[in-house]
Amino acid sequence: MTTSSIGITGYGQTAYEKRTSRTLFAFLAEAGQKALASAGLSFGDVDGLAISSFELPPDNTVTTAEQFGLSLSWAYLGTAGSAGPVASVINAKHAIETGQATTVLCIAGDNYDVGGHFKLMDNFSRGLRNYGTPLGFGGANGLFGIIQRKHAETYGTRREDLGRISVDQRRSAQQNEHALLRGPMTIDDYMNARVIADPICLYDCVLPCAGAEAVIVTTLDRAPPGKGVRILSGFERHNHPPMEIAPLRGGWETFADKLYAKAGYGPQDMDFVQAYDDYPIMVAIQLEDLGFCRKGEVSAFLAANSFSWEGTLPLNTGGGQLSCGQAGIAGGLLSVTEAVRQLRGEAVGRQVAKARRGLVAGYGMVGYGHGLSASSIILEAVQ
Amino acid sequence: MTQKPNYPQPYEDEDNATFLAGWREGKLLLQQARSGGQPFFYPRLLCPYTGSSDLVWIEASGRGHIVSFSLITRPNHPSFNDEVPIILAEIALEEGATLLGRVIAADATAVKSTAKVETLPLPDAARYPLPTFRLA
Repeated sequence: MTTSSIGITGYGQTAYEKRTSRTLFAFLAEAGQKALASAGLSFGDVDGLAISSFELPPDNTVTTAEQFGLSLSWAYLGTAGSAGPVASVINAKHAIETGQATTVLCIAGDNYDVGGHFKLMDNFSRGLRNYGTPLGFGGANGLFGIIQRKHAETYGTRREDLGRISVDQRRSAQQNEHALLRGPMTIDDYMNARVIADPICLYDCVLPCAGAEAVIVTTLDRAPPGKGVRILSGFERHNHPPMEIAPLRGGWETFADKLYAKAGYGPQDMDFVQAYDDYPIMVAIQLEDLGFCRKGEVSAFLAANSFSWEGTLPLNTGGGQLSCGQAGIAGGLLSVTEAVRQLRGEAVGRQVAKARRGLVAGYGMVGYGHGLSASSIILEAVQ
Repeated sequence: MTQKPNYPQPYEDEDNATFLAGWREGKLLLQQARSGGQPFFYPRLLCPYTGSSDLVWIEASGRGHIVSFSLITRPNHPSFNDEVPIILAEIALEEGATLLGRVIAADATAVKSTAKVETLPLPDAARYPLPTFRLA
């Protein structure tokens, strides 16, 4: 079996809810069912399961299989925060290549709200719990404020340029009925928004919510006609760079060259980018590390481009987490489902013209100061 | 001294007991491989630079500078609500280690990156569960 014969043949998502009475398993099951239906498969076809979820403990992938009635030959539990779902797709592909599984259901989801998000962050890791939480660190906002200020003071990165990410993604979100935040947003709205953790303001932040996303990874010969999406390449990196509290780069810089080399394409060949948008500053850093502009030059790059679905670089074309809401780790798979939707030509109202291939980046697992994990895949429509 | 606020506390264990006891005495303790190498924070069992488990504690001067910072108006825990903005800084110590620390300053607008800081002395330091700084 060659690597080029494996891809994503189905995708699904639940509605996102600001508050919910539904259980986590209800979200995970619904997203899984929808992904299977989109692939023309059913739960009985699944022999590999990958789950990424902050709220899953005390359960895990195997007990999820019990809940779903699945007998598995391969089970994967995401450990890389919201870099985990993209990593799960990479590892699902490897599992199929090595014969461990034939049909992998990758699900990511959580059911928390704003209060639940703070509670989660306070106990996110021993390092953060012991040496961040007692400082009143403000959850992720306080940490990413440090990174954003450093980027601005080091490279001259301007807030009004970062704001183009939030504003243009909101424009795409207005075409996405699943987005929780769809009201119009101007750059003035962005600039004048309430301060949360200076320099982070309200429209730099995501809205924690409940929801789940899912995709099916299997051999492309099983894809419904014209609906297969090939996984051209994928890499992950964890704890890079080590021993820096607030780095202005991430693991993407370690694998960008081989990611593109293995895919046979460069950044200029991407018809869209689905980046991990917990904050615009992290999208900016991904654009630098993944070669869309040089390190330190992202402000000018942002000013010279536009990012809605019909922009010069379509970015997070469903509105991203900044507009859809951040359903915990589902935020790391929202990017994949939107990429697949675009490559199948099913992004009604926000379809990128002639979308043939795109880049998806994951990021997450906040440690003592920043997200420790980075992941990326390049996807291509099967013609 | 006023009553201690109800801040979330670090979980004390064998790995960090020496460090936490040091701060209760107003000292900022770092670890370092006995064979040498860069001092580091937070407390752990292996030197992240050398992999050595043969570690020694050293007392830092408490002096350093702000690398970058954020001014938090929406803290994670209600015990901080009356003290906003919380000044959370990445601080580079003279000894070469970096850490996250609160900076206590009456005027938050006076806080700048590159500003020199020093640890709060006792008894003010006792209010805070982790090394906390003021402008020097």
